[in-house]
Amino acid sequence: MTDNWLLSLDGVAVGYGRHAVLRNIGFRLERGSFTGLLGANGSGKSTLIKSIIGVIPPLSGKIVFTPRDGREPVLGYVPQREGLDAIFLFSSHEVVLMGCCGRVGPGRSYGRDDRDWAQRCLESAGAGDLSGRRFSELSGGQKQRVLIARALAAKPDLLILDEPTAGIDAAASRAIMELLGRIHRERQMTILMVNHDLAAMRKYIQHVLWLHEGKLTQGNADELLTRDKLEEMLKLQFS
Amino acid sequence: METLREILAPDFLLRNSVYISLLVGLTCPLVGVYLVLRRLVFLGVALPQVSSCGIAAAFALHAWHIIPHVEESSEGLLAFAGSTTLTLATILVFAVMERRGRGLVEGRIGAAYVLAGAWSILLLVKNPFGEHGLLDRLKGEIIAVPNADLALTAGTFGVVVVALFLFHKEFMLVSFDRDMAVSLKKNVLGWDALLFVLIGLTVSVSVLSVGPMVTFGFLLLPALIAHLLANTMRQFAVLAAMVGVASALAGFCIAYRWDLPVGPTDVALLGFLYGAAFVLKKALSRRSAGAADVPAV
Repeated sequence: MTDNWLLSLDGVAVGYGRHAVLRNIGFRLERGSFTGLLGANGSGKSTLIKSIIGVIPPLSGKIVFTPRDGREPVLGYVPQREGLDAIFLFSSHEVVLMGCCGRVGPGRSYGRDDRDWAQRCLESAGAGDLSGRRFSELSGGQKQRVLIARALAAKPDLLILDEPTAGIDAAASRAIMELLGRIHRERQMTILMVNHDLAAMRKYIQHVLWLHEGKLTQGNADELLTRDKLEEMLKLQFS
Repeated sequence: METLREILAPDFLLRNSVYISLLVGLTCPLVGVYLVLRRLVFLGVALPQVSSCGIAAAFALHAWHIIPHVEESSEGLLAFAGSTTLTLATILVFAVMERRGRGLVEGRIGAAYVLAGAWSILLLVKNPFGEHGLLDRLKGEIIAVPNADLALTAGTFGVVVVALFLFHKEFMLVSFDRDMAVSLKKNVLGWDALLFVLIGLTVSVSVLSVGPMVTFGFLLLPALIAHLLANTMRQFAVLAAMVGVASALAGFCIAYRWDLPVGPTDVALLGFLYGAAFVLKKALSRRSAGAADVPAV
């Protein structure tokens, strides 16, 4: 059954320089699963995500992606939108086109197929009408939709999102979660989402990874997100 | 118009200077677009100064017989080697230190600027050939440009412009969202290195041709003017290059007509255009805000 694992972490320590933020982290992501990575601010969620996508090499341990049909999984990454500088004058369509960059070789321009695909991704993220608008001038929720469309444009096997609902109002947050739920349902996409907004994500996720004081608690959402378990974990969080 | 016709005539005595000005006016703004986008404007100040120091160091080493004697005709190459070596070495050191994430970036760039300026002067003062055209180069006097210098500048800038055009997609991706580029398995370090080599080459050759002040002026001001007026990234790059070329040509005409030094005239003209663009942008913003306030009938 190992073929069904898309990502496996074994004894992983991550951090900056020689300072480990998390030690001995191990979990597996099954293909087609929707997993929430939870934890308080500063618990190391984003650092772990950056190690998974390859930005920060792990200090120790193994991060392994399982190839299928001899092909390494493609990642679709949705970063925290505040990290993207408003000085760039990109339209939303140009931002989404970047998702095609992995398939278009150096020195080659995007073709008509790539442009059409980017537009289709925008439409499937409910942002087709934002195509010509400047990305930096969009609202938080609109930007998030465009960034999800960009990740989809990569034709990913694993969608990784870093706090997609942070800093946006409740209605936009619900709409984003609804969109992710639909993508997961319709495309059987494997999704790993960092969030600290439990209320927004609990209806959609199947598995939970909970980071607290450098330790990982994991399990099915139905088991871990019960009232008793949550009280126990939140007590841990605030103790 | 008469002046323009005169300086564009094929038999114009200072035609190489005109060509050099136009090449700098085209290429530096295209590179400057990346310095502005990556918020590395201070690097644009420091690198021309470092490049000047490299030229001064190369001539000093030559004067003190530390490097072998070169013919007068090869002095341009000597200056190019000194300028490029020190500029690229400085970029490499900055990149390594930034990657390690230690210290203040602004502090390093500021220190490089002031130290390079001080060493340029010290090396020139103690160089018996210091007055031999070197001071003119560093002051931005674009007067007599040998054919060999023009060919070197045109060749180098040609490579830079073609590379910026060819790899525009990759340079933009790693500049806009480095993490996304890594997740797409792009060689981010490699693309960053190539971009900085292109920046370094442009700066070192431009300093050799027109001096540090003019180089910095053309790296920064056309890109800032274009950013005020452009709506898209394509417009940003095209407008920056157009402003650079037009200013270089107009600056040369003004300098020739009123017998002024070309480099400072170019930069002063760019400063005037920056002010005008700022006022225009404000006026356009007020007008569009006013139009939005008109109640719908």
